[in-house]
Amino acid sequence: MKKYIFKCLCLSALVAIAICGCTEDSDTEKPVINMIEPAEGDILKIGSDNGVHFEVEFTDNESLKSYRVNIHDNFDNHTHSILRAETVDFEYENSWEISGKNALVHHHEIKIPEDATPGNYHLTVYCSDAEGNESHVVINVVLSHDADDDDHDEDSDHDHCL
Amino acid sequence: MYAIMKYITACLIFSAVCHTHAQENDTVKVKVLKEVTIKGSPSKNLENDISLPISVADKLFLQENFKGNLMQALEHKAGVQSMDIGAGFAKPVIRGMGFNRVAVVETGIKQEGQQWGVDHGLEIDAFKVGQVTVLKGPSSLLFGSDAMGGVLDIIPEPAPLENQCYGDVTFFGKSVNETVAGSIMLGVKHNAWHIRMRLSEQHYGDLRIPADTVTYLTQRLPIHKRRLKNTAGMERSMSLISNYNKGRYSANVTLDNNFQKAGFFAGAHGIPDASSISDDMDSRNISLPLSSVNHLKIATEHRIALNNISLKWNGGLQYNRRKEMSLFHTHYGNQTAPTDNPDLELDFSLITLNSSLKAEWRTNEKWKHTTGHDLQYQSNKIAGYSFLLPEFKRITTGILYTVSFKYDDNITLNGGIRADYGNIKASEYLDSHLEEYLNDHKYAQEVINAYKWRSYPVNRDFMDFSGSLGLIWQAAENHLIKVNTGRSFRLPSANELASNGVHHGAFRHEQGDPSLVSENGWQTDIAYYLEHDAITLSVSPFFSWFDNYIYLKPTGEWSILPHAGQVYRYCNTDAVFAGSETELGVEFLRKVTYRVSGEYVYAHNKSERTPMSFSPPAVMRNRIIYRLGNISLNIELQSIATQYRVSKNEDITKGSNLIHIGANVNAKQFYIALSVYNLLDTKYYNHLSFYRKTEIPEPGRNIQILVKIPFKSRL
Repeated sequence: MKKYIFKCLCLSALVAIAICGCTEDSDTEKPVINMIEPAEGDILKIGSDNGVHFEVEFTDNESLKSYRVNIHDNFDNHTHSILRAETVDFEYENSWEISGKNALVHHHEIKIPEDATPGNYHLTVYCSDAEGNESHVVINVVLSHDADDDDHDEDSDHDHCL
Repeated sequence: MYAIMKYITACLIFSAVCHTHAQENDTVKVKVLKEVTIKGSPSKNLENDISLPISVADKLFLQENFKGNLMQALEHKAGVQSMDIGAGFAKPVIRGMGFNRVAVVETGIKQEGQQWGVDHGLEIDAFKVGQVTVLKGPSSLLFGSDAMGGVLDIIPEPAPLENQCYGDVTFFGKSVNETVAGSIMLGVKHNAWHIRMRLSEQHYGDLRIPADTVTYLTQRLPIHKRRLKNTAGMERSMSLISNYNKGRYSANVTLDNNFQKAGFFAGAHGIPDASSISDDMDSRNISLPLSSVNHLKIATEHRIALNNISLKWNGGLQYNRRKEMSLFHTHYGNQTAPTDNPDLELDFSLITLNSSLKAEWRTNEKWKHTTGHDLQYQSNKIAGYSFLLPEFKRITTGILYTVSFKYDDNITLNGGIRADYGNIKASEYLDSHLEEYLNDHKYAQEVINAYKWRSYPVNRDFMDFSGSLGLIWQAAENHLIKVNTGRSFRLPSANELASNGVHHGAFRHEQGDPSLVSENGWQTDIAYYLEHDAITLSVSPFFSWFDNYIYLKPTGEWSILPHAGQVYRYCNTDAVFAGSETELGVEFLRKVTYRVSGEYVYAHNKSERTPMSFSPPAVMRNRIIYRLGNISLNIELQSIATQYRVSKNEDITKGSNLIHIGANVNAKQFYIALSVYNLLDTKYYNHLSFYRKTEIPEPGRNIQILVKIPFKSRL
């Protein structure tokens, strides 16, 4: 009997060796998104020439690849059933390449046109790393005509470089 | 189609022939002995000549672990896991393989639902199940494609031997979601005839979880009164079985209908916000979004024993209808709600026809041969404003031959080979709203062409073979060893081949690949059983290697579809699955039994160099059972290890320790079981749960009661 148990043990050892042969050096850690501007509940000005103050810090354990911004309306919790004559429901979609382990992104590229429908919107920021790990953050924002044009009043002297 | 009709006609003629044959037997009065089971093996787990490791959940086990849902009871078997969607729905996972990789077989027919989907649950009435045999390991040889990871073979309660009228009434209640359930069964056995009918119904309210808030996408969502809004549901089942058993002929016809309806937590169906999860002051209503599923199954089995050959034919018809309703929503401004049924998000209707013919004969005492033919035809139709599974037709057929050779009283060798052919035709579907939306947003024509198809046209043929070689060796009086090596396969499913769009439940853009090849793998299992006085031990390690294992690869390309993130594409990869289950039972002083079981699965994706997604965590159960007459008390410590082995975009799930206690009285006139699960109301997560990605913890403390009153009277 002992002989057979020994054989079984040998076989399990072989299996263990086979498993150890499977290297798992691939990165499964997601990048981290730290939203600075806009923040949850912020009011964004419609028709502002300055654009939306967008400031986000991305970090990853290995290598960042890209980020994407999507803004879509959330007027009545995604039922999208209201029809409007004069205004257009704002929709924004764009992506940018980034690299390295850390990237502080700051730009004013998101412009909200004058005819955008005011109301509640979702702003989603997605970020992916070189291995395909992905994370995203959703915040609620309000589009309105009565917002401060430039939200840079607290830190007006910062530079606009990355 | 014509070929199928011909086949069915042939089978019907065959069954008619069987009927006349049976009547002949009636007049000649041939006495044939009933099937005799010889109990030579040490444990009931071994009463068969299958060299794969098997695990039997008998009536008592299912009763003691009853939770209103079959999978949640079977989860107590080492190597079996339950993939839960709230407290109501659950689907099977065997050794880390789920979805289309596990086959559920009932009365010889493979249950076909929407098992490819993450929010699908098994449509089987837990009250009616008599016994479940779990086959762990590759079973394509016996059941064809999809039985790659294992099989749950559901066996109804046998008919009584004596003429009688019998039945039972069962009540079941659960505190965690205020389940109220009942089931009534009536049966009549008269000479060659037996008929049994069961009606079951369950209603449950919103699920209680041990948390006041859940965090999803960095948003903190309040959980009012610690109850998950809109997770209430119901289940209604009807089943009928009739048997005829005379002389050398036996037949049965079964009819089953299972209806399930349950709400989805709004937080798991779109980006949740405070209003969609606010308290609606009603914990038992089922509002949108919801899912309703109806499964109808008609099956028949005919067996005839001729002089040296026995024949068996199984036929089945299944109709699975799954609907998901959700307030009409679109991400393309131009799409307006349909005029009829505007909230019908998706509607699948799947028809499955099965036929299986087997012949078994012995050439002498030592050699037993089986040959058979299987045929399955499926047609899936779709409707609704948002769906991902394409319309498809699938036909699979296979022939098999197995042989078993009894070398001596202690050694049996078996083996077999099977060839299969399959054809899948998926219809293309062009999403005109999406095309218009992309045109409006001025995307390049080639981008529009890549995205506008929600399903690609596919017409593929597949040829596969499976085989196995096994040994059953009674090494000594109390020691039994089983070794099995097999090759198994699975055809790519329609969604893996043809779909292209956002999966509304998983929230990602899933893209099929029409050029995928069949999954296939080699697996070796060893099982060792010891039964010595008061000790029982089983150890069953396994190792498998898959070529072309199909998985969803994160491509790193952003999808242009709203709410999608990156594109996930179905790809083939080499994969390794390995692990073991161990169970030890020790009996003290004839009253106290201590049982410990452990299970571990290692799943590795070769091309990603990461673990596989949905790898079940290691689990250990320590259980002490005290029996006094017909009273039994038990306490269990379930220890779940932290699952660090995650694939990309999957979260690590922390482990936990749970305590369950139970008591039951198994008397002649009644059976009562009282149990408390998660006694300490521990907040924990299930790595395999549908709600895991929304950071929703598993149910809190659950007190439940099961009362069963059987009755019978002689005819």
